Amino acid sequence: MQCHNHLHHPGLQLWQTRRDLPRPYPADRIVKGEDEGGCGVTGFAASVPVSGKHIFLPSVQMHNRGNGKGGGIAAVGLDAPSLGVSQELLEDDYLLQIAYLDPEVRREVETRFITNVFRVDHAAPVPTLADWRDLPGLEVRPPDVWRYFVRVKPEVLQYFIHRHRLYELPWAMVEDEFLSQHCYRLNQAFYASLGEKKAFVLSQGKNLMILKIVGYAEEAALYYNLLEVKAHIWIAHQRYPTRGRVWHPGGAHPFAALNVALVHNGDFANYFSVSEYLSQRHFYPQFLTDTEVAVLLFDLWHRLYGYPLEYVIEALAPTTERDFDLLPPEKQQVYRQLQAAHIHGSPDGPWFFIIARNDPVKKRFELIGITDTSMLRPQVFALSEGQVQIGLVCSEKQAIDATLASLAAEDPRFCPVADLYWNARGGSHTDGGAFIFSLERQNGKMVLSCQDKFGKPKTVPWFQKPWEGTVLPLDPERLSEMTPLLTDLLADASGYAFYDHVRVRVPTWPYSRFLEFIQLAARLAGEDDALKEALIHGLTLLLDRRYDPGDKKRSHLVRLLLDTLTEIFTASPPMGVEHPSRYRAINWETRERLTPPHRPDAVLVLDAAQFPPEGEECDARLLCQAHALGWRRFLCHGYRGQRFTGCGFGPGTDDVRIDVYGSSGDYLASGIDGMEIYVHGNGQDQLGQIMKRGKLVVYGDVGQTFMYGAKGGEVYVLGNAAGRPLINAVGRPRVVINGTALDFLAESFMAGDPLHGGGFVIVNGLEFDHRGRIREQATPYPGSNLFSLASGGAIYIRDPYRLVGEDQLNGGELVEMTQADWDLIRPYLEENERLFGIQVARDLLTVDGELRPFNEVYRKVQAVKLAVLAQVVEESGLEEVGWGQPLRH
Amino acid sequence: MELALNIDPEAWGPGPWTPVRTPCRFKNPLSKWRVWRNEAKCIQCGTCVEVCPYGVHTRAGKFIRKPLSYLCLGPACEKNDFYCVRRCPTQALSLRLHPVYTTLGDYRWTADLLLSTWWMAEFGTLPYADLEYRTGNSGGGFDKLRFFFPPQPKDLKLRHEDISLELPLNRRHDGRPQVVLSVPWYSAGMSFGSVSINTILSRVRAATRFNTLLSTGEGGYPEELYPYDDHVVTQVATGLFGVREDTIQRVRMVEFKYAQGAKPGLGGHLLGDKVTPAVARMRESVPGSALFSPFPFHSVYSVEDHKKHLDWIKEVNPRALVSVKVSTPTDVDMVAVGSYYAGAHVVQLDGSYGGTGAAPDIAKKNIAMPIEFAIPKVHQFLVQEGIRDQVTLIASGGIRTAYDVAKAIALGADGCQVGTAEMVALECIRCYQCESGRGCVRGIATTDPELVELMTVDWGTRRVCNLYHAWSWQLKEILRRFGMRSIRELVGRTDTLVHLDYYNLPVDDDIRRGT
Repeated sequence: MQCHNHLHHPGLQLWQTRRDLPRPYPADRIVKGEDEGGCGVTGFAASVPVSGKHIFLPSVQMHNRGNGKGGGIAAVGLDAPSLGVSQELLEDDYLLQIAYLDPEVRREVETRFITNVFRVDHAAPVPTLADWRDLPGLEVRPPDVWRYFVRVKPEVLQYFIHRHRLYELPWAMVEDEFLSQHCYRLNQAFYASLGEKKAFVLSQGKNLMILKIVGYAEEAALYYNLLEVKAHIWIAHQRYPTRGRVWHPGGAHPFAALNVALVHNGDFANYFSVSEYLSQRHFYPQFLTDTEVAVLLFDLWHRLYGYPLEYVIEALAPTTERDFDLLPPEKQQVYRQLQAAHIHGSPDGPWFFIIARNDPVKKRFELIGITDTSMLRPQVFALSEGQVQIGLVCSEKQAIDATLASLAAEDPRFCPVADLYWNARGGSHTDGGAFIFSLERQNGKMVLSCQDKFGKPKTVPWFQKPWEGTVLPLDPERLSEMTPLLTDLLADASGYAFYDHVRVRVPTWPYSRFLEFIQLAARLAGEDDALKEALIHGLTLLLDRRYDPGDKKRSHLVRLLLDTLTEIFTASPPMGVEHPSRYRAINWETRERLTPPHRPDAVLVLDAAQFPPEGEECDARLLCQAHALGWRRFLCHGYRGQRFTGCGFGPGTDDVRIDVYGSSGDYLASGIDGMEIYVHGNGQDQLGQIMKRGKLVVYGDVGQTFMYGAKGGEVYVLGNAAGRPLINAVGRPRVVINGTALDFLAESFMAGDPLHGGGFVIVNGLEFDHRGRIREQATPYPGSNLFSLASGGAIYIRDPYRLVGEDQLNGGELVEMTQADWDLIRPYLEENERLFGIQVARDLLTVDGELRPFNEVYRKVQAVKLAVLAQVVEESGLEEVGWGQPLRH
Repeated sequence: MELALNIDPEAWGPGPWTPVRTPCRFKNPLSKWRVWRNEAKCIQCGTCVEVCPYGVHTRAGKFIRKPLSYLCLGPACEKNDFYCVRRCPTQALSLRLHPVYTTLGDYRWTADLLLSTWWMAEFGTLPYADLEYRTGNSGGGFDKLRFFFPPQPKDLKLRHEDISLELPLNRRHDGRPQVVLSVPWYSAGMSFGSVSINTILSRVRAATRFNTLLSTGEGGYPEELYPYDDHVVTQVATGLFGVREDTIQRVRMVEFKYAQGAKPGLGGHLLGDKVTPAVARMRESVPGSALFSPFPFHSVYSVEDHKKHLDWIKEVNPRALVSVKVSTPTDVDMVAVGSYYAGAHVVQLDGSYGGTGAAPDIAKKNIAMPIEFAIPKVHQFLVQEGIRDQVTLIASGGIRTAYDVAKAIALGADGCQVGTAEMVALECIRCYQCESGRGCVRGIATTDPELVELMTVDWGTRRVCNLYHAWSWQLKEILRRFGMRSIRELVGRTDTLVHLDYYNLPVDDDIRRGT
């Protein structure tokens, strides 16, 4: 029976033409060829074309997220001259890239599939290094790649239209579909049907190209000479397939479907179901990986069904639970239909997609990041604006910082610190778990804009201007003029005098004045330990605290502060020299020279930059060795995602303090027992696992599974926590989160009775605006799962408007705060005030300008005995032994 | 026969073991046959005491004790002239199947297997009675595999002393210390909470004496284990209960438990009843509240997370080896290779047969792949990948006997992990009540202060040591029959096995007979 829709819907008419496509594999033989866990993915979109070498550094940084079994790079919005074609040709022609695993078949492929149907406007091999063995990481010779700029010959397309009676359809749509099917047939003939694979299409879109390799992504960039090729959008992928041998790059990411290139981190649990769903719609996977089916889904829904991006994202990552209920009714209606129709095609399991796309109709390039509903993979987005704009999306924040650092080193218009960093909340009603960076031409230049799934823009304030590189010359006269003031300010060893002086003046100062002031202070403090300590404290306060930057960007001030701090740190006397200073610097080159501390209050200044992120030689092990030699005070800087800082020191480290600057890595402070760690910036994933005792202060956000299985410790977080903080925590962890958490906060929390020595979490639900003012977030807790299945401990949540509801709890109950509760949490809020300047009375207890009693502002979530958790206690005969008593300590 | 073993834990170390007879703790040991004396007919003449060379009948002063039926040969004795039933002048004695025998055990752990394991734990030798000590009666798997011994040993001079059972665990040559076990098995993880401290101590002391390891399971590291640090594997499982940096730094091997073959896709679950204040203290949780371990690691959703997780443990303890325990899904081979690339020294495959009574019935045996399929699948895949000689492959989940150990090794594993067999040595009767109420009626899988007292550490140590001794003997005897000087030679030698479904000639691998 022919449905009438088919006759009217252009996509469905095209879809009908796929009926005679050959199936590459019988349905019962669709099995995933290669399992891959997760990988490292990164991508960015810049308003000016930038060269491929900037995707190189983040790829190197995420080396440890791949195993060298496949890497790839895609670029969208290319630069015509570097490809040797004209701009018109680049925009109008399909850029067909074919990888010849067997160079002998090129003639055959060309005669059978290219010259007969395509008008070839330009054809050339992709230049490569002379000898692939020059790259030591490569085990296999990468394929020869040929690049063809083509259009379908009009007579061929005429015939296709005539044969399928597609007379009413726009020519461009039919051409797209024809090309898509043709590439499918090519792959079928030279790839999928063969035991020995010979050739396959890498990419076929307009103004889009993909190159992939058996090796690491950066090797693809090196081998195919991409370092000097320029493009607006770059995405890269480090692959970690768990099947050992992959001898050709067909299965590596990115995968392309016409004008879309997709990389993926994760693993589908329902690969077969999705493949079956696609097969029923005449889309057949040929490469048998998750990523391929993901890009086919996108192609089907977006190009053929004509769904807007929002609906495509909804079909991929359905909105569920409470988030669904909070959607407006008209959206609920549409989404329900989408979910009903496409749930079998919706990828299940952990995944995170980065998509680069060219929309030739709207003349727009897009970079999209989509996370799964449960947020099982790490993801960070960032946006930076200024003379040039850039949007980034990566698996790890440090990869973003690496990209920005690489760009800034070449082009001063880029700042190594982004204006905004954030995580998407998968399948949510707030941002939908997806963000889209679009590049459009306005008034002759490309402009970047960022939106979430629902089209809500993400912006940075227009009036805050970037630093343009102006530096006032440091003249000695000025130094002597300023010396009395600076000496005076730095007499306060805590740094507060210096900080207050600058903080008050910074809104009116230009960048150059600010830079001059801190540079002069650095010059002055260079030789004197007391001044140096005061200055480090003062600059660190400027780095950690939020204040009004006036018409300047906070990100640029942070950059200048970090640069100055790094100068001060690296100017410390190196290890092994006689010097009265208490500071001793050590880095990768001098690591062998580690000696016991020369005085009891010695400070080890570690430059972590060159250290490997893990393994026997990593900086975290060096810290352990230093600790064993007697060092107790550590200043660590230059981090580029080095992991495990503070791990391995062993029990009883109460006299240790570590200060961390830069992009610190995963697992920081895991298992610490007594020490204090201060992270001056954002933390990454898995911080404070099994933490026992001690203090962790993070002057920023923290990533996924923060404090998983923690046993104790005092933790203060200035910003937000991503998904799954404090899962399975026991004992007595005491945590203040000034922002909020994405979801699953304190699931299975088992931390005793907080009033009798157990643990708790305080959630303040606050944020800072771009002028450093504290404001409330839209809701103190946005997720659907708060304190699920918890059997002990409590959450104290600042919720003056009573926005948190019973429907967010699963095993907890909301109760009024008592005086005992307030007495318990008050000292922690006071410490929070000391650390972050968030005042208890002014900022926390004041609501709408009015000071309120604590029990109107805070609410307590405590555990209820669930039948599933507790058996009947009386029968067990346990009640006589310490029942209901404080647990320990 | 009583020998005091409560030596200072410091002085307790690896060394040879001479079996010490350690009888049943209970008044009436279970047995296959029952020798029944009709006291009304008995005239206390003592003939039976004199004739029976197996010590079934004993005398206490003037009286004759109740017969120790479990020592009896059974009806096989009829042909002997010391057959007490016939020799009794008043026909007071009778011999028949013990009524409990038919109710004991199940298809995997048959009554014979239980009785013979108890025998080995008591005497340290193989039972002489007609007990099937090698296989169960499950109708598949190990129970259908037999060793096919050559008619005559290749090397007649080969003695047990010349045969090595050693298992090196670190085959990566990555600069981390080598750990060599003297026997090709170690004790599987059972947490403090799921079993009593006496059970754990008995096992760890046996592990120490036989220079092998004991996994703590996911329930913390009780202080009582500190003297045995070098023989402990601490488990980092999904709930992270009781895992501290201190515990990771103590041990020589850290085991990541991703899943248990008995219940893949389900986390651990300690019911509220067993969370006594002591258990809660160890795990720092709330007494009386059930403890769930989530089924995945919340921090590990992919292989690169997995590598990061391993790197973390390696950073915390630069001397430790790392073991990864996974269940056996259909793509277990990929999991094993992934773990190798992530840096694991030991990959442990946990098949579907294991699990105590606490594992849900719906999961046991219904989800994961049987271990005897998983081992060759992974072994062959690792060989194809060219990395087999860098991974130590440990099989677990339903290893009941020394024969199972040998068969697993012949199928491709390097060694095994045993759990239930040790419980049986401590007189577990497989009643499947591990999780309910106050726990185990035999004082093994319980934390109830009263029930724990049913068993002493000395007694338990001797039982497990005796079992280990008997197993070592059997393994050496199997190797001797094949003329192999080391257990390493047996790895992957599937040609030493026959499957009864495909082999029609009679085959007997009973090592009590023959040369």
